[in-house]
This record gives sequence, structure tokens and C-alpha cells, in this order.
Amino acid sequence: MSFIIFLPAILLFLMSFKKIHQNKKIFPLVTLSLVAPALWMFSIGLPYHLWDDYLVIDKLGFYVFVISSIVSIGVSLSLLTIHKHVNITQKGERRFYRFFALFWIGLILATLSNNMGIYWIGLEFATLSTVYMIKINDSSTAHKEAWNYMLVGAVGISLILFGIILIYASAKPILGEDAIYFDALLKSANHIHSPFLFELGFAITTLGLFIKMGFFPMNLWLANIERAAFYPVAALFSGILESVLIIGFFRFSQIAMSVNYSHIFTYIFIYMMLTIFIVSFLIYRAKDFIRLFTLSGIEHMALIILFWVSGGKFAALLHFAAHAFLKPALFLSTGVLESQGKYHTQGTLRGYIDKKGKLFAFIVSFFILAIISLPPSPMFFSELYGFSAMIHVAKTGEHPIIIIVSIFFLLLLLSVIFYRFILLYQAMNYEGVDEKKEVDRMEVLVCVLFAMALVSLGTPWVLTFIQGVAS
Amino acid sequence: MNDFLIGVFLATLIIALFTTRLYRLLFWYSFNSFTLGLLALSIGEDLNDNALLISGGLTLVIKALIIPYVLKHITQKSKLERSIRPRIKIHNAIMLVPAILVFTFYLTEPITNQISNHANYVAISITALFLALLLMIEHKVVMARIVGFLVLENSLFLLGTTATNGMPMLVELGILFDLMMAIVVINLLLRNERITA
Repeated sequence: MSFIIFLPAILLFLMSFKKIHQNKKIFPLVTLSLVAPALWMFSIGLPYHLWDDYLVIDKLGFYVFVISSIVSIGVSLSLLTIHKHVNITQKGERRFYRFFALFWIGLILATLSNNMGIYWIGLEFATLSTVYMIKINDSSTAHKEAWNYMLVGAVGISLILFGIILIYASAKPILGEDAIYFDALLKSANHIHSPFLFELGFAITTLGLFIKMGFFPMNLWLANIERAAFYPVAALFSGILESVLIIGFFRFSQIAMSVNYSHIFTYIFIYMMLTIFIVSFLIYRAKDFIRLFTLSGIEHMALIILFWVSGGKFAALLHFAAHAFLKPALFLSTGVLESQGKYHTQGTLRGYIDKKGKLFAFIVSFFILAIISLPPSPMFFSELYGFSAMIHVAKTGEHPIIIIVSIFFLLLLLSVIFYRFILLYQAMNYEGVDEKKEVDRMEVLVCVLFAMALVSLGTPWVLTFIQGVAS
Repeated sequence: MNDFLIGVFLATLIIALFTTRLYRLLFWYSFNSFTLGLLALSIGEDLNDNALLISGGLTLVIKALIIPYVLKHITQKSKLERSIRPRIKIHNAIMLVPAILVFTFYLTEPITNQISNHANYVAISITALFLALLLMIEHKVVMARIVGFLVLENSLFLLGTTATNGMPMLVELGILFDLMMAIVVINLLLRNERITA
């Protein structure tokens, strides 16, 4: 059965070697089949053992996989019109699909893995496949950034493996070879032979994950890469690759919080405060769309992690879903906006006079306002729940004053980000000159898809489901 | 025997740090992998662990033979710069490397106290990890940095072997497979271009 889940990706990989001149639409359509496993997952009982204890579809894995699949639909559809906005050869396009298929295999392995080793293999696979995607943009900057990504990614991924080895070593005396399984570790978290070794392993693993997420002190490398790559690649990075990283953090931290909660909370809290502190000022200084959205993505990831370790799992999962839909949507629409005039933010949403254009401009405005958590954005509600979870930790913890002061400081930093995005929104809508612009029907459809996904996060059915995953 | 092999492993890594020519660096990487493979075979035999014996054998074939050969081939094909002068001058590195060794042994004491078997080997593998990072940092040339990454992976293999008496077989094979994919991606990135930074 496990083979079937990989089938669409394998099919896409094999097809990418074929030259198909007649129908350019065939690749995006085959890419849509990547969603099929997610549809199949709706019909099975969870947890489902896909391949013994190695690959298990649990609620968390299912949730992340479904979100990634929805993002992949948007990315696939956006590829139908990519040639209108960037210079991409047919060979480059086929290479994109080839590595996208490999990336998807890595995603499946990492998302559904119950085994730390397989999680790492999937993550490495996904990382390596995205390296070449950056280089599809045939520019010297993209080549340089592909190498940077390769090397920084290698350091991050090595740290993750280093941490996994220490975690495995800490639990092997009591669990034997089962110490490699997330569920076995979670069950025996209180009996781990060497908590110090485990915590050290966790700290190093998360450091590797944080480097890959663009956290302190590696805040700019991700922004540079997403700036250099084509916009669907940037969307993949922010919408799917970060999901692979965050699910790893969720799984590792669940165990770590059972081992020693106060240590983990302090470590993560300080790290996230530092990250958001740096990122808020970088956002304030950022001049172009992609950098702004990348840095805002880093801020969101930091908040998700902060909410998660504060016990606000529902808030973290809701924030994560909203982030996963909003960021790729913004990157994909930025590709369209930038083709009208690169790096110009002033008046980019003006000049869309036909119905399609007006709808497009409206949805992009909605995305920009949703990203800064203006109600009724799901991010507004997730932040409410998240901050209340943090206040609860402050009330029950040993240092309530420090945490409450930190929360106020955090809100101050978020207001800096809010201010910058409001300026951006105003510049896009009210500055610059009116120039007639057009947008393709497919590009509007992509925006509508992401907007619908975002709105669906507020429906009772989805909220109940997220609560089920969080519990 | 194990003590001798781990000594050679560390020595080859230190020599690699002072190397100024790319082919010699590839040779020292190959030798480093060779000693690592032998060490895995030796520990595997001591523990009567077939998985570790297979991993050791694969390390000898893939890391000591195939990868250095492929990297040399890529270097020739892409006409890459073969002079790889490190950023850190050798007379400074001579002081820095022992400092890292001593510092790491001191730093890893709390970890090695928790490990019952091969505690010193664990300290050496973490030292090797730091030295591999130094190798990545001190070079501007891409291929030398890639060798730094590969040595980093060797250090992690050593850590996995010594701290845990070998990771599960499936994981070891997966890591080797990923390493092969990394080489494929490196080859693709270097195709038709000459990169030195």
C-alpha cells in the first residue's frame, strides 16, 4: 500500500524526462495528481500504519500532508502561466517538475515518518531536491544562492542528524533499537536513561531546524534564496518545505516537553524572542515584496513554535495552516505583480480595471491584511489563543513577571511589523501611477483557491478537526 | 586496533585542514573514509553486528572509492580551480587545531560521562565534527567546502557508530543514499560552469 502513495510523484518524475511539445498543460495536470494520496487519507481510519512502524499516518501527519497538498495545487496551477512572468526554458520547466517530484517523495517520508532516521532522510531528500530548483533561474545570483543553500542546508541538516544520534543514544539503553521511533520515545519519555543527553540532542536538533527555518542568527539566507529563485520555488519553500521542518519540531518537542518542560520552554522562549526581535527590524528595513514576505514567514514560524511550547497547540496549528496558505499565495501573486515592474511596490495593485483584475487586486489586499492578523483573519484568532496560552504559562510558572513583560515586548515588536505592512498596503493601493494591467484567469483562480482555503480555516468543521489534532 | 584506526581518522582530518591542493584533499578524504570503514568493520566484528559490517563495507566502497573518484572526475570536467589556499593561514591553523581539540575534549566531558562504551571515541567524533566545520569555513573554493561537508558526514557516521553502537541499518542505508543524491546534485550544479566562490 505504501507504494501507492509515492506513485503520483514517481509518475511525474518519469514523465519529466519526456519531451512533450504538444501540450504544455500536461505537467501541471500530472502535478495535480500529487493530491490523490491526501484524498485517499480521508477515507482511512487514523492512525494508519502505511509501512510497519516506519511510516504511520497519524492526525498531525495527515493535517500537515493535506495542507501541503492544497498548496501543491496552487503551485501546479501557477506553473501554467509562469512563462509569462519569467524567462524559463522548456528544459528548465521539465527539470523543475523532476525535482518537484523528488521533493514530494521527501515530503511524504518526512511528514508521515514515525522514525527519526527516516524523518531525517526525507528532510535531506527534500532539501537536496530544492537546491537544483533554485538554479532553474539561469542567473548568476541564483547559481550563487543555490550553492549557499546547499552549504547552509548541509550544516543545518548535519546538526539535525547529530542531535538525532544523541537522542537515540540517550534512549537506547531502555528501548533498544525502538529508541529511533517517535511514539516509543514519547511513551517512555519519563524513563529516558540520560535526560541530559536527550536535552542536548534536542537542543542541537532544533538548532539545525532553526537554521533551516531562517531563525537567529541565520535570518537573511532564506530571504536571499527566495529572492533569487523563481516565485513558485519560493512558494514551495515557504508553504511546503517549512511544513516539513515544523512537523519535525512538533514531534521532537512533544517528547522533549515530557522529559523536562521548564528547560525546553526557557530555551525556546529566549530563542524565539531573539529571532522575532531581529526579524521585526529586518522587516522594517526590507524594501521588496519577497524579502518582506520571507521575513514575515520567519516571524510566523517563530510564533507557531512559541505557541506550541506554551501549550497552545490549537493556536500553533491554526497559525501554521494560515501561514502555509498565505505565504505561497503571496509569493505566487508577487510573481504576477513583479512582472509588471520589478521591485516597485508603489501602485502595484492599481490599474486592474477589468473584473478579473479587480478580483485579483482585492484578494491580494485581503492576503496582505490577513498576514498581519487583522480580523477576521485566522491569524488573529490563532494569536489570541496563542498569547492566552502564554499568559497561562506565566501564571502557573516560576517567573510570571518576566514572561508577562516579555509578552508586552513581543507585542511591541509585532506592532513594528504591523506598521511596515500597513505602509506597504497603502503604497500598493494609493501611491504610484495608474497603468493598465492584466491578469490571467488561472492566476486569479490560484488566488481564489488560497483565499477559499484560508476562509475554510474559520469553519466549525475545520476548527473541530484542528482541535482533534491538538488534543 | 580500534584506537589506532581512530587515531588515523583524526590525523587524516587534521592533514586535510592544512592541504592546499584539491586532489590531495580528495585523497585525504578518501583515506579518512577508508579508516572509518575499517573502524566500522572492526567495531561490527567486536559486537557481532551484521548491520554495522554492511555499513562499514559500503563506506569503504562508496565513500573511500566511488565518491572521491566522482568528485575528481567532476573537478576535471568542470575545470575547477585546484589551488585551494585556506583563508586561515597555516601558522595560525597550527595553533587553532590543537586548541579546538583540547576545547572539544573539555566541552564534551558531560556527554562522554553519559556514554558507557567508547566514551573517548565519542569525544573524537565530536572533535572531528568541529574540524570538519572549520574545513568548510576556511575555504572559499566550493569543492573544498563540499569535501568539508562530506567529512562532516563521516564524523556523524563515527558518532553514530560509537555513541549508539550503530544506528539502525535502514537509517544508515538511507543516509548513504542521500549522500549519493547530494553528489548527483553537486554534479548538476557544477555542470557547465566554473565556480570558485
